[in-house]
Amino acid sequence: MLQIFLNILITFSIFILVSVSFTLIYYTTKFFHLAHAVVITFGAYLTYLFSQQLGLSLWLSIPLSIIGATAIGVISEISVYKPLRKRNSTSLILLIASLGIYVVLQNIISMLWGDDTKSIRTWEVKVGNEIFGAYITDIQIIIIVVSIVLFIATLLFLKYTKIGKNMRAVSSNEELSNIFGINSNYVILWSFGIGSALAAVAGILVAFDTDMTPTMGFNLLLYGVVAMIIGGVGSVRGLIGGALLLATAQHLGAYYIDSKWMDAIAYIILILFLIWKPLGFSGRRLKKVEI
Amino acid sequence: MEYLLHILIMIVIYVMLAHSLNLVAGFSNMISLAHAGFYGIGAYTTAILSVNYHFPFLATLPIAMLVSGLLALIVSVIALRTVDDYFIIITLGIQVVIFSLMNNWMDLTNGPLGIPGIPSISILSFEFDDKISFLILSLFLAGILFYILRNITSSPFGRVLKALSEDEIFTQSLGKNVYKAKITSFTIGAMFAAIPGVLYAHYISYIDPTSFTVMESIFILSIVIIGGMRNLWGAIIATAFLIILPEALRFLGMPNNIAANMRQIIYGALLIFVMFRYSKGFIKEKQTVN
Repeated sequence: MLQIFLNILITFSIFILVSVSFTLIYYTTKFFHLAHAVVITFGAYLTYLFSQQLGLSLWLSIPLSIIGATAIGVISEISVYKPLRKRNSTSLILLIASLGIYVVLQNIISMLWGDDTKSIRTWEVKVGNEIFGAYITDIQIIIIVVSIVLFIATLLFLKYTKIGKNMRAVSSNEELSNIFGINSNYVILWSFGIGSALAAVAGILVAFDTDMTPTMGFNLLLYGVVAMIIGGVGSVRGLIGGALLLATAQHLGAYYIDSKWMDAIAYIILILFLIWKPLGFSGRRLKKVEI
Repeated sequence: MEYLLHILIMIVIYVMLAHSLNLVAGFSNMISLAHAGFYGIGAYTTAILSVNYHFPFLATLPIAMLVSGLLALIVSVIALRTVDDYFIIITLGIQVVIFSLMNNWMDLTNGPLGIPGIPSISILSFEFDDKISFLILSLFLAGILFYILRNITSSPFGRVLKALSEDEIFTQSLGKNVYKAKITSFTIGAMFAAIPGVLYAHYISYIDPTSFTVMESIFILSIVIIGGMRNLWGAIIATAFLIILPEALRFLGMPNNIAANMRQIIYGALLIFVMFRYSKGFIKEKQTVN
């Protein structure tokens, strides 16, 4: 039983990191940046590039790959989303454009590194540390600590720093914050930067734990999105509830039914949630048919 | 010649997919990423019925359409509680669930191993086992589909769909049942998507879940968007372009796997590019003044 609890905690940490990185971008821009998935993947593959192919040390290659992946998020904002926003595009148009970016970048990864599984683990796989009969590896401990620290740091950042406050202003009303002299494009750029950096960290951590494939980011991102919708869209604190519910349901499902149904369970929860509680945990309204 | 016929058959299959999605995404403004799922349900239904139970094609086709339509009906009742972006995310979820069923329900679908040995189509003891007769059959079905879609979209029901895609509240205020119209459109779209699925399964004679992934859904949606929403002829041109392109790249000496990636990169880039054109919204029909 403790093992299940530990597994839930590990999965929860990954989900919360992915969903907070996605939510930061959604928070200010109000559209589903699905190309975020490829930023996660790039984090992992750039680490592979720097540490395995170029032979740099991990301490150097991890920051380099976070910078690289962040650049990809920021460039997609500057080159595609910003001009589209300037033309008053709806969030739907932006979403489809982000699908396009995802397809392009994911195939570039496939072309450069191939579709097979790559690993950045240089050490032997070991059983892990035993805690009261349950096992947890060092990497998994790092995942839990890093994710939760980064999540709390993001909450504090939004609450106390100037950029964070501006982000909340843009999130609640972009036009009004422009009137008050906040450059919303600049703030959105920041949220892309921070969100992408967090996503890259998530990608690297997951890759250390379970290796990488070119499509790893997409599933992770979808879990993050489901956690965000369950938690109540746009609420950063609601993510805790969303990620926790999702991780718990998945692991209980894996324990009582079969682990291969984890994907399906995530979406069945999302659908059940839409029927039972369309407002999400935090009570914010999903965009519904207003008739 | 065989090779050319193969490309033509694939074009016809994808044109049917794009047309069925056009009804949902173009005419009723419900952008769905679950279409490859319904395509897959069509393929799997016919594969399971004809391999395990030796059903003839004339029986599996309507059954496949019914199964796909029934699932779409159940799913759309829930999914259509949301609109726009959230609808896309929900359909993405449906796609993942359908894929997960195909990939994991070993007893029924044989999981990642797929179902081999699907017999070729035979109608009244005529075997469609060579490519020319198969092409004629699929062209025939595609023609019927085209004709039905033309009729649906210019019928009163089609006008309700067009109206609701522009303004749901206004359509509702005219006394039209928007929710019901959307469910109907989504279900019909899914039923039509099962037809190319059935054809594909019999044509390739082997199916596995990798043909019905999220990427496939994105590809079908790209055809519709690149060809032009509500534009049935545009979809044909876009399909031909996107299917012939990787073959052309192969002729230029590009290795197979890179050509496949290049195709996706090109349609992804086209998708971004087209979004700039559509940035004011998808609906751009000519205004007619009475």
